[in-house]
Amino acid sequence: MSHAKLYTWIYVVLFVGATVQVGVEYAGLLEPGTYWPAVGAILVLSLVKAVIVAAYYQHLRWEQRSLSYLMGMGLLAALALTIAASYSIT
Amino acid sequence: MPEDTSDDERDAQPGSVADASVGAPDPDPDPDTDSDTDPRADGGTVAGQDLPVSEVEEEEDDHGHGLPDTSSLKRWLVTTNHKDVGILYTVTAMFFLLFGGVLALLMRLQLWTPRAPGAGPLSAAAYNQAVSLHGLLMVFWFLSPFAFGFANYIVPLQIGAKDLAFPRLNALSYWFYLASGILVGVSFFQSGAFPGGWTMYAPLNIPTYTPGVGATTSVLGLMLFTASVTIGGVNFITTMHRMRAEGLTMRRLPLFSWSILLTVWMMLFAFAALLAALIILSADRILGTTYFAAQSAGGSLLWAHLFWFFGHPEVYIVFFPALGAMAEIFQTFTGRRIVGRKWFIGAMLLVAIQSFVVWMHHMFLTSINLQIKTLFMATTIGISLPFDLMVFALIYTMIKGRIRFTTPFLYAFGALFLFIIGGITGVFLGAVVLDYEFRGTYWVVAHFHYVMVGGVTALIGALYYWFPKMTGKMYDEFLGKVSFVLYFIGFNLLYFPMFVAWETPRRVFSYDAAFAPWHKLATIGAFILGFSFLLTVYTIGKAIFVGEEADDNPWAYSTTAEWAVPSPPPLENFPGIPSYGDGKLSFRPESAADGGEAATDGGNAAADGGEVAPTAHDGHDDDHVSHASIWPFVTGVAAFFAFFGLSGIVDGELIGGIWGMVHLGSLVFGGALGLGAMVAMGLEEFHGPTGPFGESWPFSKTSNLKTGMWVFLASDVVLFGAFIGSYVFIRVAFPGGWAAWEPIPHRSLPGLINTYLLLTSSFSVVLALVAAERNSTKGVVASMLVTLLLGIGFLINKGIEWFELFHEGIWLSTNIRASTFFLTTGLHAAHVIVGLIIATYMIVRASRGAYLDDDGPLEFFGLYWHFVDIVWLFLFPLFYIL
Repeated sequence: MSHAKLYTWIYVVLFVGATVQVGVEYAGLLEPGTYWPAVGAILVLSLVKAVIVAAYYQHLRWEQRSLSYLMGMGLLAALALTIAASYSIT
Repeated sequence: MPEDTSDDERDAQPGSVADASVGAPDPDPDPDTDSDTDPRADGGTVAGQDLPVSEVEEEEDDHGHGLPDTSSLKRWLVTTNHKDVGILYTVTAMFFLLFGGVLALLMRLQLWTPRAPGAGPLSAAAYNQAVSLHGLLMVFWFLSPFAFGFANYIVPLQIGAKDLAFPRLNALSYWFYLASGILVGVSFFQSGAFPGGWTMYAPLNIPTYTPGVGATTSVLGLMLFTASVTIGGVNFITTMHRMRAEGLTMRRLPLFSWSILLTVWMMLFAFAALLAALIILSADRILGTTYFAAQSAGGSLLWAHLFWFFGHPEVYIVFFPALGAMAEIFQTFTGRRIVGRKWFIGAMLLVAIQSFVVWMHHMFLTSINLQIKTLFMATTIGISLPFDLMVFALIYTMIKGRIRFTTPFLYAFGALFLFIIGGITGVFLGAVVLDYEFRGTYWVVAHFHYVMVGGVTALIGALYYWFPKMTGKMYDEFLGKVSFVLYFIGFNLLYFPMFVAWETPRRVFSYDAAFAPWHKLATIGAFILGFSFLLTVYTIGKAIFVGEEADDNPWAYSTTAEWAVPSPPPLENFPGIPSYGDGKLSFRPESAADGGEAATDGGNAAADGGEVAPTAHDGHDDDHVSHASIWPFVTGVAAFFAFFGLSGIVDGELIGGIWGMVHLGSLVFGGALGLGAMVAMGLEEFHGPTGPFGESWPFSKTSNLKTGMWVFLASDVVLFGAFIGSYVFIRVAFPGGWAAWEPIPHRSLPGLINTYLLLTSSFSVVLALVAAERNSTKGVVASMLVTLLLGIGFLINKGIEWFELFHEGIWLSTNIRASTFFLTTGLHAAHVIVGLIIATYMIVRASRGAYLDDDGPLEFFGLYWHFVDIVWLFLFPLFYIL
């Protein structure tokens, strides 16, 4: 498909993804009992959307691999800090 | 042919550049065989004969590029040439050395004997400021900038580049650095500089305990410094990866360049975390947020984690250039390549990576749990291992070489000795149980001064080493040696007693009287050390004015490319395009034909109207890099005024009286000037270095501009990551735990609408690129206009939401949930605003036909805008839903 068409489909997917996240909340899944799985689902959705924006809108899918690794390094640093720090006070 | 027992030894021809081919000449030199015994592996050199350029029409070059002579002030205000910027950094750093040094001498005078508050030359308040600013100034405003003076000057020469990838940004880095340092100086006069230690621990760092506008100015100065470093990091990373000469693969990069490369990579990620900490601290001080006032671990431990995640890589950022300089100096003055060269590089790489996973060893006495302390003790021991390798490599290089004890070598060797002592004493600190005793005592102070000032020692050696190259003059060797002897004696007299009197607590001036003799020795040592610096300044200064002319290469056995060009080098560095394709350095002629279109570093190459300037029209100027622009200087001035103005806001309100007005005026003036300067910089016709370049791994298919943009975004990822991480951390530490934290927004709908708006605006930016490909000005303008409108819609929607919250009495300072909500989404909104300002500029330019032939700027804007969108994709669920 042409680029414009691909981008339009991506847009629709992202739109739906955002709506689904709120849908998880409205479905009452963020109550005790299903809270953490729901959190997981919502965050995974965010991650998927972010990867789609990065891969298609930011073109990373067609760029040199090194750029993806570069962003991965930043993400890894932020995650390491967050996880280690949070663990340190448990 | 005499048997060559060591094929790493270099032939000696006094006064000339050593021949790269040693032993039996290789009939078929293959630059790709990079065995450990390859003598060319350090970048090679010009083969045997005369240097290719001894006379250069430097005058002509300068005038041809609008650059005034070095004797005029204007030259230094407008220059973007890396060599000039390097000199600016080096000289300015020495001023800060003096500043920080005077503070140290004042401290040592106060410490001459144990005193009660009020006694001695310094009051308690003054002493606290001296302690804190001595640390801040030395670590930030002296050490790294001093190293980067050399990095700026030498690295492009070593890698075969004409300049850095973004020359104006390089100048901007410098002017931000100077402005930030002046801000710190101003803070002393504002009610006192920050008195809470260089580590600025929470909650001491909040206005409740360190009130005073001056303290805020110190913090803001550091923030501006962080901006300078980030820009510099992007510049150096892009340059060093993309712009190496042909044949100069990463493995063959000289060791000093390697050390700088790793330094800037560490800087990129570490300083982003510091920036997050400083923004949050500034918000606590200026806007009244309550991050660091939190009684839970979320307060003081949040700062500790953010600061030390930065702080540990920082100490290696400070040390690595010194290490690289040591390696260069050792190689030159032992007459051989370093033993275990590729292992040395591997060790540096390992340290750079490992430096990010040891930070909690600065927190062993906080309330973090035992499991994580144990883990970080292990990683800390782990990081000492690559250092061992590097130390042994340097020692073996001395053993296997033939040493010449010149001034640079004396300093470099001294540095190694001091670093070994400092390093070993650091290992003790890495053991949790021992740290329980040592933490907060002079053992720590002695340890880090041995390692850090050990680094300074190497950098002074670098000063003597590269001084002839940078000035074309030679210093008095006898004076140099005397300065070293005084330095070494002073250093050890100052710092060794601190190990003996280690039980003295840090940062205070009352201590057990039994330690007084040791402290007196230390004070005497401090003055001797200080005097030795003055002697160095005198030696260097005298040489500049009346020194002998130096050879282009005064050091036998040096093999890196900076020695193959005149001293000082001509403006464009080389007499052609450097290449190592034949196994040694040679210069290919620059052909006018393949100049192509001069790329700009964000400036506007095409005249308004969208016509590309024909390549041949200006004769030789087109292929040449521009060297002058006033806008970095103006932006630096603007930044000073803007940040100064900000310091006058306390808890969300301007301070009263005339000073409040002064601060407000300063802020408005700085903001407006800065905006104007950056627009002017965008419109200016400025030509950065153009490709194609020899070696560009791993960004060979990505332009300089695109690489720079992505590198910048990687740092922005860490910035937002640290902000989001801070929110997560505080929420985990929240009384009642994660689930007890009620989101501030009552409903998710406004956030969802904002998500839709941003997603759509990302889509429209993509469509703008499509329109550009289809050569449709109307399409580009329309799409960008849609983006702008949607972005404004985002801000309006957010404004309405915030207004409703204010009406309910919920503001930044209400509680920690509100603070994190407003500041994090506010930082995001600030990114949106910046994007919209850029978008407005681009709409205006697009309506005049720009971006059709070169849609690069559209693409780069898109990268930034999509990044802003991605951040929101995480902020929305985290702050609205969960």
